[in-house]
Amino acid sequence: MKVAFVVQRYGLEINGGAELHCRWVAEHMSRHWDVEVLTTRAHDYVTWADQYPEGEESINGVRVRRFSVPKPRDPQRFGRLQNFILEREHTEKDELTWLDEEGPTSPALLKFVQTHSAEYDYFIFFSYRYWHSYWGIRSVPEKAILVPTAERDPVIELKFFKDLFRLPRAFVYNSEEERTMIQTISGNADIPGLVVGVGSEVPADASPERFRRTHGFDKPYVLYLGRIDRNKGFPQLFDDFLRFKAETDSDLALVLIGHSILPIPDHPAILPLGFRPEQDKFDALAGAEALIMPSFYESLSMVTLEAWALGRPVLANARCEVLQGQCRRSNGGLYYGDYPEFRESLKLLLASDRLRRGLGENGRRYYEANYTWPIIEGKYLEVVRRLGGEA
Amino acid sequence: MDEERLSGPPTIETVEIDYDRLDVTAIMAQVKRIAAATPADPPREEFPETPAVPPAPRPAVPAPIDPPPGRKAWLKTKIHRLMSPFFPLIRLGGLPLHEDIQAAVRQIDTANRRLDELVERLQETSVRFDRRLDEQAVGFQGRLDALTDRVDFRLVDLDRSVDYIKLLHTLDHNLVVETTKLRIEFEALKSKVRILEKELDAQTQREKALEKRLLS
Repeated sequence: MKVAFVVQRYGLEINGGAELHCRWVAEHMSRHWDVEVLTTRAHDYVTWADQYPEGEESINGVRVRRFSVPKPRDPQRFGRLQNFILEREHTEKDELTWLDEEGPTSPALLKFVQTHSAEYDYFIFFSYRYWHSYWGIRSVPEKAILVPTAERDPVIELKFFKDLFRLPRAFVYNSEEERTMIQTISGNADIPGLVVGVGSEVPADASPERFRRTHGFDKPYVLYLGRIDRNKGFPQLFDDFLRFKAETDSDLALVLIGHSILPIPDHPAILPLGFRPEQDKFDALAGAEALIMPSFYESLSMVTLEAWALGRPVLANARCEVLQGQCRRSNGGLYYGDYPEFRESLKLLLASDRLRRGLGENGRRYYEANYTWPIIEGKYLEVVRRLGGEA
Repeated sequence: MDEERLSGPPTIETVEIDYDRLDVTAIMAQVKRIAAATPADPPREEFPETPAVPPAPRPAVPAPIDPPPGRKAWLKTKIHRLMSPFFPLIRLGGLPLHEDIQAAVRQIDTANRRLDELVERLQETSVRFDRRLDEQAVGFQGRLDALTDRVDFRLVDLDRSVDYIKLLHTLDHNLVVETTKLRIEFEALKSKVRILEKELDAQTQREKALEKRLLS
């Protein structure tokens, strides 16, 4: 069976979000299928400017075909268009103009999908909101499987996505909340869909001591992993954390690992380490009192799963339905909707080592039951089997 | 049930946890009760701006106008006068207010602009609707007048026809009367003719009898 994974960006340097999700799934499913990846030459998700060389290459044993994006995104124009379609009465033509501006607009990629569709049994499209998924699914609906990676952001309410969600043969959802949201929006409950998610590559030798030694501090800390920007719950987390410090006189530190596009407060208890290698990241995670996830928009949160894989508890933003749902289902983390809840939840976590261990252990069990690679691979095979194809 | 009362601040002490079967929902219900007992915060931002959207350029706060001489100054004064209703909003955007308040004001402003736009569109639609109704009413009136004229003409025609029919009826009646009278006269004349025939027959027989007597 030959399957193409179609995704907006792809590469070893892209280390988060739907792109990493796609790469991991493609690499694991290449044990079962003849897998190819169809993607763009983009590395920068803001402009989609061509960066990787055009043509074919092999990444970790998977053949990758790259196509050019002749018209990069103009962020200012896109921002204005998005504000217009979210705030004003508009037509479906306006929405299509917004989609063209959002990109990555790669006619060559679309043409390849259309002209070579007979060579593939299925096309698995990642991320519903981008140009490649919208036009790709419309080109080969009878072979399309969509991994929406949808968050509860306003664009999902756009009219033309309702029709899009009724086209694919099957869906691979990241969470129960995502499935409920998409089915509510589009009424596509009759289309087969499994909640699958993604596994993770967690090293067996994560060492808190190595992290403390490398960075030279021994205070207890909570950890945030990921991009630091407004959609991820910043600077609200800075405000909440500094207020917590002032009110409780705690010696807790907040360690931040990831690129920042916001100014970070200059405070001795806030340690921005920037982007770190995977080993350092997992060392930090293994030694954290808890992982904090202040994000408003998550379709799954791979770092939350990684924290649970290492037996660490999570403190999540309750306003993100997926994070709250995951914490409840796993019994592996607490959540907060405002500062008083943040303060009381964090105090509770810090006050009881037994609670932290219990939550972490529940999280680990939840991860092992749902997100180890054999289980994820089995669910993808099950999706294809339900469509009548040989797995 | 292995329950542990935690040491620490009094609020945390009240949380009861079953460590053998941790139930996050039950723990959070207690945490929420404790949090609710503390003084309320101002409402925080519901959701930030849409993901992956670069921030829109903010309107610049207009500097106080000190018009330079000439045509440029005249133009600037005009623009300044046109913009003057929006100055409070623009100034508000430039004030060092808390981001939550700014976000709320921006949302209210967006909603207001949307409402204004909808009201404007409603008024435009209403004016268009009125105009269309007027045009249609004028058309209907013209057609109605033409129909009324035709009906009046038909009514006059009908009146003439009624008078004509009345005359015909009178004529018919008179004809019937005259015909009846003629018939009666005819019958009377017929009777007279029959009498005269009988008298003629009788005179003829008398003539024959007298001839016989004279010849014999």
